[in-house]
Amino acid sequence: MANRFTVRVGLASAVAVMVLAAGSSAEAQKLKPFAGHAGLQAQAQSAQQTPPAGNANVYVGEATCLTCHDNHYAGTAHGLKSNPRTPAAQMGCESCHGPGKAHVDGEGDVTKIRNFLTMKPQEASQYCVSCHDRGTHALWTGSQHDQRNVGCITCHSVHAPKGDHQLKAASEMQMCATCHQNIVNKQHRFQHMPVREGQLTCSSCHNVHGSQNLRLLKVGTTIDEACASCHAEKRGPYLWEHAPVANACTTCHDPHGSNNDRMLVAKQPFLCQRCHVTSRHPPTVYEGFLLNNSTNANKIFGRSCTVCHQQLHGSNAPSGQFFLR
Amino acid sequence: MRHTIRLMSIALLLLTWPLAAGAQQRPSQQPAPEQVPEARPAAGEGAAATTPETTGSIDIGGRFTNVDGDAARYERFRDLRSGSWSRLTFDKKNESYLFGAKAQNIGYRDQMFSADYEGGKGWLTGSFVSTPLNYSYISTTPWIEQSSGHLTLDLAARQLVQAGTVVGIPQNAAQLNTPSIYRGLAAPFTLQHLRQTGAASGVYEFNRDTSFAGGFSSTKREGHQPWGASFAFNVANEVPLGIDSRTNDANAALEWTKTRGMFRVGWNGSWYNNHINALTWDNAFRATSADPFDPNGYSNGNGSSIGRMSVPPDNLLNSFNAMAMYKLQPRTVLNGSVAFTRMSQNDPLIPWTINPVLQTSAIYAAFPGLANLPRATAEAKVDGLNAVLNFSTRPTQFWGITARYRYNNHDNKTLPFNGVEYVRFDAVPEETGGISEQFDIVENLADVNVHFNVLPYSTLRVGYGFDSFDRTGRSFSNMTDNTARVSLDTVGNQHVTIRALYEFTRRVGSGFSEDAIEEGGSQPGLRFYDEANRDRHRGTLMFIVNPLDVMDVTFSLATGSDSYGGPGHEFGLLDNDNQAYNAGVNVYPSDNVNLGFNYGREHFKSNQKSRNANPPPDPQFTDPNRDWLLDNIENVNNVNLFADFPKLARKTTARVTYDYSDSDNAFNFSGPRILSLAAAGQFLPLPNYTNSWHRLGTDVQYFFVPRVGVGVDYWFERMNVRDFNTLNLPGTETPRTDYLGEISTGYGSRPYTGNTAFVRLIYLF
Repeated sequence: MANRFTVRVGLASAVAVMVLAAGSSAEAQKLKPFAGHAGLQAQAQSAQQTPPAGNANVYVGEATCLTCHDNHYAGTAHGLKSNPRTPAAQMGCESCHGPGKAHVDGEGDVTKIRNFLTMKPQEASQYCVSCHDRGTHALWTGSQHDQRNVGCITCHSVHAPKGDHQLKAASEMQMCATCHQNIVNKQHRFQHMPVREGQLTCSSCHNVHGSQNLRLLKVGTTIDEACASCHAEKRGPYLWEHAPVANACTTCHDPHGSNNDRMLVAKQPFLCQRCHVTSRHPPTVYEGFLLNNSTNANKIFGRSCTVCHQQLHGSNAPSGQFFLR
Repeated sequence: MRHTIRLMSIALLLLTWPLAAGAQQRPSQQPAPEQVPEARPAAGEGAAATTPETTGSIDIGGRFTNVDGDAARYERFRDLRSGSWSRLTFDKKNESYLFGAKAQNIGYRDQMFSADYEGGKGWLTGSFVSTPLNYSYISTTPWIEQSSGHLTLDLAARQLVQAGTVVGIPQNAAQLNTPSIYRGLAAPFTLQHLRQTGAASGVYEFNRDTSFAGGFSSTKREGHQPWGASFAFNVANEVPLGIDSRTNDANAALEWTKTRGMFRVGWNGSWYNNHINALTWDNAFRATSADPFDPNGYSNGNGSSIGRMSVPPDNLLNSFNAMAMYKLQPRTVLNGSVAFTRMSQNDPLIPWTINPVLQTSAIYAAFPGLANLPRATAEAKVDGLNAVLNFSTRPTQFWGITARYRYNNHDNKTLPFNGVEYVRFDAVPEETGGISEQFDIVENLADVNVHFNVLPYSTLRVGYGFDSFDRTGRSFSNMTDNTARVSLDTVGNQHVTIRALYEFTRRVGSGFSEDAIEEGGSQPGLRFYDEANRDRHRGTLMFIVNPLDVMDVTFSLATGSDSYGGPGHEFGLLDNDNQAYNAGVNVYPSDNVNLGFNYGREHFKSNQKSRNANPPPDPQFTDPNRDWLLDNIENVNNVNLFADFPKLARKTTARVTYDYSDSDNAFNFSGPRILSLAAAGQFLPLPNYTNSWHRLGTDVQYFFVPRVGVGVDYWFERMNVRDFNTLNLPGTETPRTDYLGEISTGYGSRPYTGNTAFVRLIYLF
């Protein structure tokens, strides 16, 4: 009895899965391969809103769309008719949503028009990158976000943006916090970059659309180059270099925020003592007794190790090998 | 029965998982973290039926601030002085162009201006941003800035200190009971600096296919920053270093785009110019330089009466880069970039020492290397070559491949500098230095990921990464990371979004040189954690559930662990672990109410090992009884709350936000060395470093008519902090600037309670 019931449930589940999968597959097969830039160019033979000759039976023109829908992209970059590359200068709504005649003839049948909200993120993105395939977006395809099924309309809204750059949230931090909440939380740490004060934002350092650098950093080709684009005094190169600095700033610093001084990943002197296990003062146990009784206290309070080794990012002094000068 | 339940559970999961299709992922409804009073007309109160072409706002008023405690920390990157408040916006949008301009907090140290234009053949944007960094308003220093980079101390005081008749820099616990003579001489000053950046950039499209992009920015930094400038182990100084520098950046690129691809060539240039060439400062411990020099002067303070150190040199960066992208069929894209970069600086070198006692023929006879510099200028340069190639293909709806290759060559071409003979702390000539070491790094990274759309709107991705670093000047000549990863993303579901990732990386070093470790006097068992063998685990999991149309629930978990090991690895960082949890809920039952809450907790733990010993041939160096370990544990809590009432009452909007963050950072020592110190009565655990931060913001706006209204804002912040790193005079929050072995500025971590209120008049057009 139990076994027959189990088998029936299992079969029903399998059938349900197959039906759903087949339905999706069928839906997927209806989607045409993206036409890319050529597709839009083919669709927009002129900058006029009227359907091009030869395609009169599939395009209806934006005026027809506006009989039922509000013009939500007026006042945005997509609505600039002065730019021949924009939807407004080409086929209007149908530049992105595809030919509308079947949708109109079907009395608004939503299955007969390209609806981005029902598409897979990567499928939807293909239409965006048919135009947004240059400049800061050139490296989008295959980038970290694209690989994780984060599409253009995951973050952007063409018709109902809430923030700058047509984001679906009021600010970049709010948008990024959707997935990176633990990173955004770091802005509330004792030591932080001026993000929560509004002087910087996520895109001040990162190009979320793809980058030639690590970690989607938008400037330079190494972590150090990116940081030194603002902190140019650290760029060097120096006469005497400090090995972990040449490796990456993030060896010692957490750029998103830290409770330790100077956004270090650990408190001094203990951070330095992770690598400086020599003799004499570097591996000394710096604790409360020394803090209260010895001049070695200056390795614990205040600037700690860097009160003497100030030049730890590199020294240009001939006597600067140990970053004292 | 159990088997039945198991099968039903699996069936239920399979049935609900495919429902992950429909509405795109919705961002959490958290409010903007940055607090800026903004004009927000009440919803539905006479809103325009169509989007007007010209809009803007004039938001002006008064700001009233009261701070108890560390006012600089309260302001930090802001200027919240009592006075006027302003925020102006102007937007003009039509089918021909878009123009927007903003100005905020005009006339204050954090003022911002921006303007953007887009239309026709391209776009142009300009900005001026001023960012203060306020270290401390209660700092003091006995040094007097005679000119930029030149600090002097009262000569009479120094003479008394040198004679031993007064306390200058406390040398033992008993001397702490007597105020330093420099405490009386120290003058209060504001320790802060200002960064101001003016920038302009734009794109001009010659035609549909060809465009030019260019930009220029200039950043000026001026003010002071706390700076370590010391003379000996027991004569440490923190002084206010003057900052006066400018960085100019320029970029230009030509881009050509056709249907199937694009190609771009560009150049970036950056010039950093420091108007302060060196720092010289008087020694608080000595009015005259020890003559003859004391071989132990670097540790007992018998050194130079004056010090000199280099400051960041002028430098230059030039980068030529090219980028290309090509669309193949079907759904296949190849893109990549290559960049050639040169960084250089050739500043004149300061002499070996400023100490006149060490600039004699007798010294040069004993240390001939100190008679002259090997060269007059730095002659430092690094060449970089970076190449990235990405390949992405999705042949069918069900699978695809993404592959990436990255090559990076950091080639340091700075000529070696012979510093075998040098002067330590301007006090003692030594021949224990060396030849300068320049660190070259060549990286080869290859990464492949295959994704499968196994279920509707779900993508399973498996990947492998190979990352190899060849280095010079390190203990390992090569280290290689091998990474395996798997991720599952279910998105587009109206009700559920799930993202999960697991990644394992094994790092193995080769070409190990124990000589490289021992040359620096390190324990042979030390491994530097940025190159040591390591196993790394990383996992993330995120759920967003929309059980109702008016509600979403978010949960995320991120966890990771690093274990350092390998043959012979005994000292240094041994392991670290971290976990971060976040849980939040947003409720938006109507257009009149939005509510949100998020709680996050993070846990960090690291473990390191060291040995407290004298150098060989002292047997301490190899004695395991001298070993000690440090277990550093930090726990952090975050809370974010918001309540948004776009229509609290007729013509009235309101918003309340609350943020909280705290940290409890513990330092747990253990090991035989700790036990022996404790037995000798010479060990006291350090207190936990703790802080807690509360921020409350309220904003109420009332519009008499749709275009005119008033706003009242109130900000409250409280920071409680206890940091053994920060020293105050007993029983006060007044900085103690004269402590064991050091004279400092008093900059540190101190509590505050800040209140700022705004009263604003708002006009919308």
